[in-house]
Amino acid sequence: MDRRYFLISAGLFTILFGAKIQETQKSKLFSLFESLIPTIEAVQNHLFPQGGKIPSAKEMNAIGFLKETLLHRSFDRDTRDFVIEGAKELIARTDGKFVTMDENQKERALRAYEETDYGSSWLHRIMILTMEALFGDPLYGSNIHQSGWRAIGIFGGEPRPTSRYCQI
Amino acid sequence: MKHFDVAIVGSGASGGAVAYMLAKAGLKVAVLEKGRLIDRKAFSKDEIAYCRRDIATPSLFDEYHIIEEKVDDKWITTPTYESGWSFWNGNIVGGSSNFMSGMFHRLHPDDFRLKSKYGDIKGANVVDWPISYNDLEPYYTLVEEVVGISGKYQNHPFEPWRSSADFPQPPTDENEVVKLFDASCSTLGVVPLITPRAVLSRNKGHRNACYYSNFCGSYGCSSGAKSSSREALLFPALSTGNLTLISNCYVKKLESTQDRVTCAVVIDTLTNKESKITASLFVLAAQAHESSRLLFNSKNQFYPNGLANSSGELGKNLIFSAGGSGQGELKKETLKMITFDKLMQTGLFLNRSVLDWYFVDDKNEGRFKGGSVEFMFEHQNIISRAVKQCYEGEKLLWGKALGERLVKQFGESKSIRFEVFNDWLPTNDCFVSVDENHLDKWGMPVGKLRISGHSHDLKVGNYIAKKCEKILEAMGAENIYSSVSATPPQNLIAGGCRFGDDPKTSVLDRNCKSHDLENLYVVDASFMPTGGSVAYTWTIYANALRVGEHIVRLFEEEKRKRV
Ligand SMILES: Cc1cc2nc3c(=O)[nH]c(=O)nc-3n(C[C@H](O)[C@H](O)[C@H](O)COP(=O)(O)OP(=O)(O)OC[C@H]3O[C@@H](n4cnc5c(N)ncnc54)[C@H](O)[C@@H]3O)c2cc1C
Ligand code: SF4
Repeated sequence: MDRRYFLISAGLFTILFGAKIQETQKSKLFSLFESLIPTIEAVQNHLFPQGGKIPSAKEMNAIGFLKETLLHRSFDRDTRDFVIEGAKELIARTDGKFVTMDENQKERALRAYEETDYGSSWLHRIMILTMEALFGDPLYGSNIHQSGWRAIGIFGGEPRPTSRYCQI
Repeated sequence: MKHFDVAIVGSGASGGAVAYMLAKAGLKVAVLEKGRLIDRKAFSKDEIAYCRRDIATPSLFDEYHIIEEKVDDKWITTPTYESGWSFWNGNIVGGSSNFMSGMFHRLHPDDFRLKSKYGDIKGANVVDWPISYNDLEPYYTLVEEVVGISGKYQNHPFEPWRSSADFPQPPTDENEVVKLFDASCSTLGVVPLITPRAVLSRNKGHRNACYYSNFCGSYGCSSGAKSSSREALLFPALSTGNLTLISNCYVKKLESTQDRVTCAVVIDTLTNKESKITASLFVLAAQAHESSRLLFNSKNQFYPNGLANSSGELGKNLIFSAGGSGQGELKKETLKMITFDKLMQTGLFLNRSVLDWYFVDDKNEGRFKGGSVEFMFEHQNIISRAVKQCYEGEKLLWGKALGERLVKQFGESKSIRFEVFNDWLPTNDCFVSVDENHLDKWGMPVGKLRISGHSHDLKVGNYIAKKCEKILEAMGAENIYSSVSATPPQNLIAGGCRFGDDPKTSVLDRNCKSHDLENLYVVDASFMPTGGSVAYTWTIYANALRVGEHIVRLFEEEKRKRV
């Protein structure tokens, strides 16, 4: 069943079953994620490396941000699926070796992945999610001590948030 | 069940204005708002929450629109949950007005008589308004006082006349870049004007003056300075004790007899419980596309094609605001007239508009209705500005090179942006209906928007954008570009329930009452046959205050008759 058809026919039932489905999905997703995390983390670390003018993805715990963001209900579920599928695709293309490659190999693998439309969009998405981590409010667990903001000399406005996602 | 004098659907700019007038006059009013109430203190500058997720708008998987656009001569239909192109603009108490930038202009007197003045344009359904600028002028002035608009009156041939000498509050503070802007304009013979802002420059009652937070448009205001419905109208209305504000209350449909609306069928979005709310009079203020949708979804035996739709005009002639935008970068090393430190001072506005091309008489291009322009700093959002930097040509830029670029871009340049507003001509190919096959999470058909712009709109937009690029050039900006397209800004939506004197060709009468039902009004921008060449929320506020006053008079007359 294509997704659009599913949504149309399921429209009326979302209220009744919505919450329950979300809970089971969440725990399934969590375990799926755990297996993909090392690859996504390695990609982030390559795109935002240590020793540059902005803080690295590793120092800023960008992977922690990404994990929590994707599991939050405010996050677009299509994009979440895309992040998962794109990571699986990278793993398949690199025979599961991406994480253990050296930096030159990683660069070649990612540039080759970028040659495909799918890979290019996926890498762009990972960059967006990492930039959200580096330049979003520190309340979300990254941009630690405002290091991302300090590096570019631009700071978030006041008042700063006191709870994530305005408590939804 | 409590019965109200008036029930208003939607608490945004238009709903708040009517609620204010009625509650002040002693009527018992209910405002039914599908969104939640966000505390003023929770209006933080959290880019992730407010600008990158659906915190103040519904998830597109729960509630969406169907968009029809013409691609290669074929109408292509896309649900917004697939495209991500949201037509929700703020669904919390106060509506989109919480998030506006508040650049405000009155319509020009000729905007009310576009057809008489400029004649027919082939393929466009232009008609004159049934009221004139003179009818609306007192309410424009009332908005300045009640809602709060800061500014400074400057005489300009295309600035409409006004009944008060000047604005009640002086303009908001400005970044020194205005010196460069004004000087550059004068070298080109262009007249720069201070933009009137729906932002307080001084404290006013429970609201504090703007503290130049640097993050205005798309964010709620934590000082109350922004003249949102919530701060300027709903809170004063609540303090009368006559307003019952019901949030998390989604109105599914209205029920009616042949002549009168009898009740609103609502869902409490927290408990999913359905109930009915009764009132003597009903006012729709759900933002233009959603008010038409609600009327279609309220069809019944008396009005099988949609409530209040005996004319068949419901949903037709939907308009947005045509035009486009452009940008250029002022660089540290080439900056003229002012110091880079002053340019980088955060928060202060570049409060400038140009009205010189509102009406164009050009020896090469001819005589036509033009538009207005707002100049501003590029939106200060950090993440979105950073994301813009991650391409080098077609390729993604990453690694240390990206870091270097970000540091240079943020530290050594600042972008100036302009936005062009011209008439979005009403056509047969731009309308709202509902799609019975697509239901929102409450089981109601979603709004279906067929969107198409008139080629004349593009001609006007391009004409003005080129002039604006010249101003940026004169300022010494680099990397200048502009983009004018028929893609509408989804936050300025009007039409669908045109007002007019002929019940056969309009949905509403000149007081925005349905021609068909004696106790039904629509007060958001649905009534507008044409949208003027400015962002039109000042007009929405003014007209809603006018209609509010009219409704108060009705109740007073009714009361006198009973005595
Ligand atoms: C980011 C941004 C910047 C803007 N900047 C400017 C600007 O600079 N200048 C300018 O002139 N304009 C600007 N605007 C536009 C301005 O905000 C709108 O024109 C104005 O708020 C529209 O008023 P409204 O009453 O029609 O709708 P809204 O203010 O959107 O209010 C409609 C309300 O109705 C509620 N509602 C809808 N359907 C239902 C239902 N079925 N049941 C119950 N409630 C319902 C909605 O939740 C919403 O709260 C901007 C808008 C945005 C989003
Ligand atoms: S304080 Fe001023 S700049 Fe900030 S949101 Fe309020 S009105 Fe806008």
